[in-house]
Amino acid sequence: MERVPVSTAALEMKCLPVSDKNGKIAIGLRDGSHAVRNFFIGTAAAALLSLYILDIDWLRILSRSGEIGTVFAKMAFFDFKSIEFTLLSFMETFSIMVLSTLYSIFFGMLFGLLGAENVVKNRTAALSVKAFSALLRAVPTPVWVLLTLVCFGFGAEAGIIGLSVHTAAFFTRAFAQAFEDVPADVIEAMEALGANRLQVIFCAILPMAMTQLIAWLALRFEINFAECTILGMVGAGGIGFAISTSIQNYAYGEAGIAIMIVFLFAFCMEQGFIYLKKKIK
Amino acid sequence: MQVPVACEREKKVYGWFFIALLGCFLAATVFTRFNPLVVLTEIGGVWDFVADDFFPPVLVCSDGILKSVVVTVALAVSSASAAALLAFTAAVFGSEYVAPFPAVAKCIRATATFLRNIPTLVWAFILFSSLGVGTGVGFVALVITSFAFMTRAFIEVIDEMSQDSIECLSAVGATFWQRIFHSVLPNCVGGFIAWFLYCLEVNIRSSTVVGMVGGGGIGMILFSYLKSFKYPQAAGIILLIAAVVILVDLLTNYLRRKVAG
Repeated sequence: MERVPVSTAALEMKCLPVSDKNGKIAIGLRDGSHAVRNFFIGTAAAALLSLYILDIDWLRILSRSGEIGTVFAKMAFFDFKSIEFTLLSFMETFSIMVLSTLYSIFFGMLFGLLGAENVVKNRTAALSVKAFSALLRAVPTPVWVLLTLVCFGFGAEAGIIGLSVHTAAFFTRAFAQAFEDVPADVIEAMEALGANRLQVIFCAILPMAMTQLIAWLALRFEINFAECTILGMVGAGGIGFAISTSIQNYAYGEAGIAIMIVFLFAFCMEQGFIYLKKKIK
Repeated sequence: MQVPVACEREKKVYGWFFIALLGCFLAATVFTRFNPLVVLTEIGGVWDFVADDFFPPVLVCSDGILKSVVVTVALAVSSASAAALLAFTAAVFGSEYVAPFPAVAKCIRATATFLRNIPTLVWAFILFSSLGVGTGVGFVALVITSFAFMTRAFIEVIDEMSQDSIECLSAVGATFWQRIFHSVLPNCVGGFIAWFLYCLEVNIRSSTVVGMVGGGGIGMILFSYLKSFKYPQAAGIILLIAAVVILVDLLTNYLRRKVAG
């Protein structure tokens, strides 16, 4: 009996199985497979070109790679000398994260509604809101924080406001998308019943988009925590400041504790949101 | 009479979630003594700062700036691609359904969780202190977090695909690599590419930030301008960064529609 290798992938793709000269079934290319192949070739070429441009001294990195182990070993010996400072700066980071995310939800919701084409019936207005938010999003968060540091001085305010600018712009795009995903029939049905614009928003659009809003909120909490850590390293306060100063002063034990706190909190938050998403589903 | 719209259990979860959020909000406000009205009282100062110091933005078109933009983009592209290759290998050994050794799969997922939950810049600082500053070290720091992020995303893509075709292939005696290349890869390639493009977008921003603390590139130039109070030049660089980020976003959106859609 002739052996015919059958790929289930071919069956799933609904290709016509036509045997070629060797008696094998031609799997055939799915639509767009050429695009995928070209994409891979292009990416590989771009990556190789980039590596060539960067001209990295691999030998130096390899020869020093043993140092990483040494640093980690030093960090594993926790030094509880300045634990109070570390905990206080962690509290600050946590507060900046919570406040910036929650204030941004408010603004994101507002501008998200203004940017959703099915809420604002004016296409140009919605597009211009989205374009403006794209411009704000294009500047990385630490840059915003550096700018607010200049305006508001050193402290939590600068961190909260700087992060909020970027986060609100992020929410604007995400929420506008979520609102636009609400089926048009629902809105039409409400309008046919004589509901006004506010009733449509509060009784149809917001409740239907709620699951998506919470998913975005969870994602942004995780991102903002990482950003809060980062902004301490570029000069604002918080746990990032504790980490960068202790590393620069070769106090690896103190840095180890701070990094451990960051890791544990991020890990717990991730697990908590996974649990929450399961509950809501 | 009101018709209950949301199911009761769901309402309860939402309720607790909002109470928890409110509690965090109050605690944070008390701790930082943050008054949102400060934005309104300080708005004049902000406006003066933007209008006087930043405008008109000056963009010095020198070779150095052009070169540093290229370095930043190259850093993002190469680190995302290298991380994608590693993450694909890690994901096929780390996914519960296709992994040949369950113990190894657990280890891979635990490692990815550990690497992912420490921010890129912290990795950069750890590596700078052990390897010295430089573009290469920035590259390694970006690869670490992109690798961990994509490993998780790829594992999720593999777990979400229909498991029937893998089962079929194992039933007819396909080896591990045959299963990967004839079932997992064709089914998941769209999802993989979508996550890779997202990672590329994130990396463009991260490579700017890593540059600020010693990775080189455009971030380094911006940081030095801001530190020496050359605000018009800094404004020019910020607009340049925004332009690069928007261009890359447009490109990834185009590729997503074309390849992953």
